[in-house]
Amino acid sequence: MSHKKKIRSLLDDSPTIPPLITLTAGLVLFSLFVPKFATMRTVSGFMNAASINAIVVIGVTLLMIVGEFDLSVGAIVAMGGYIFAKIILKGGSPVVAIGLALFVTAVLGSINGIITIWTRIPSFVVTLGNRSIYRAAVWLYSGGMMLQTTEESPVYDFFSGRLDVMNDLFNRANFRTTIVWAILLGLILQFLLTRTRFGNHVFAIGGNPQAALEQGVNTKLVKLLCFILTGIMAGLAGIMTFSQFSTVFVATGTGIELTAIASAITGGALLTGGIGSIIGGLVGILLINMLRTGVVLGGFPSDNFEAIVGIAIIGAAILNERLRSRS
Amino acid sequence: MPGNKRNDTRLLFMENIVKRFNQVTALDGVDFEVKPKQVMALLGDNGAGKSTLIKILTGVYPLTSGQIYFEGRSVEIRNPQDARGLGIETVYQDLALVNSMSIGRNFFLGREPTSRFGPVRWLDMRTIARQTRVSLADIGIKIRSAREKVGKLSGGERQSIAIGRAVHFGVKLLILDEPTSALSVAESRKVLEYTQNAKAQGLSVIFITHNIHHVMQVADCYTIIRHGKQVGTYNKEEVSLDDISDLITGERLS
Repeated sequence: MSHKKKIRSLLDDSPTIPPLITLTAGLVLFSLFVPKFATMRTVSGFMNAASINAIVVIGVTLLMIVGEFDLSVGAIVAMGGYIFAKIILKGGSPVVAIGLALFVTAVLGSINGIITIWTRIPSFVVTLGNRSIYRAAVWLYSGGMMLQTTEESPVYDFFSGRLDVMNDLFNRANFRTTIVWAILLGLILQFLLTRTRFGNHVFAIGGNPQAALEQGVNTKLVKLLCFILTGIMAGLAGIMTFSQFSTVFVATGTGIELTAIASAITGGALLTGGIGSIIGGLVGILLINMLRTGVVLGGFPSDNFEAIVGIAIIGAAILNERLRSRS
Repeated sequence: MPGNKRNDTRLLFMENIVKRFNQVTALDGVDFEVKPKQVMALLGDNGAGKSTLIKILTGVYPLTSGQIYFEGRSVEIRNPQDARGLGIETVYQDLALVNSMSIGRNFFLGREPTSRFGPVRWLDMRTIARQTRVSLADIGIKIRSAREKVGKLSGGERQSIAIGRAVHFGVKLLILDEPTSALSVAESRKVLEYTQNAKAQGLSVIFITHNIHHVMQVADCYTIIRHGKQVGTYNKEEVSLDDISDLITGERLS
């Protein structure tokens, strides 16, 4: 195989590579032209900012590969955060708090899945509806009250403590354990997706549902599991949010659903399903957070910097598409 | 009518098959049989009833009346799983392939081999790559790499992957639904070659087409259906191509 062909087949096999190239290019450009960007403090800062959202991105990317959407993840994040916080603040066991938060968020994910699978209404519509319904449920559960704490706890540190191993290594760095969780879960899900029967079925259903069905794949069960996993991931992000910020309110997680879809697409996933990568999604969310930081540090008017992020998302998507169609 | 209907050696015998959709009679007492290691061409014009007959055999439609025997036993085929359980596999025109996935992953889709360590099971990618290449080579299909995406293959290559997959997974009766209608002449020839190789491996093949020229190279026998009725079953030597064409269109009556 020639050199060129090898590179092309690599690009083709791994949708992660184009966003990785974009990320590297962005890092180099910002480092050259934006003062104070190339410091461990800045880098650890946008990695932290990306890491909790990254947990949501993992689930949403998986769901997009199987050919579905979840626009209700933001409300699920808030629900997970509230259940966890309420039990902990009442002096309950952390295990019960975590278990119940993840169980309820799994149920919310499964409701999305059950309605989508059995009514055949597009999940975009189903979860658009549940997005409002779940948010109302959060409001009812919380009574509209913000929960906050000033106490410290090893449970919070477990999910979102200072990552001293790294911080001792680099001066003025502020890495948090959320980064470790995001990378760890990303790797586990990537393995699940590319190296197990379940993952093979996910790609097949997203690529050609009729073919998957004809080859004996249990398409309904696989889709349902993807919705449930997405719910659990969002719930976990809620737990981490409270652990990091010591606060949760009704609007927690608002907007994450679109950021997650943007990350998945920037990371090489197709809107139509069948193609994508979890690691790519993680690179995508990191790219978006890097751009926000770089643009702000670069002195762009803070009212408009989101527009530049928007342009960059479209640009990255075009670049990915170019690289993919050439290979 | 030629052909010995009471031959015990046949693999499949569909007897007096009637299928009505509401008031419309699609099949009106059709007999159809396939012997072991035989390539049977099922011929008929569009709307003659050949698709209906095959969909009854593969469990897509229930039959109105009639009897199906497979390997000498009376069988009931209520759904596609029943048909597959008997060893009847169909390669439909859509091929049931996922373009965005590799040849190897498509080949084993739904039947992936795994390795395990404790509770963790993962895809045995080495077996997938090797077995895909070996099985396809067995019926004369050469692939560059099992990791290549199916979407990059030509129509004939895709057809060959679907046929190779059906042959590999222990099929006794392979049904090809208009496999060459969308292919170039060169690619059609290849598909016919694979059909012959499948037969050499001990399979029986039903080759559905409306064009006798697509199948004359490989067919041992022809069954012709017209307006929901069986016109006849003919051995290759018994009839000329012109006869067959006329029988399909009804310009000549049997």
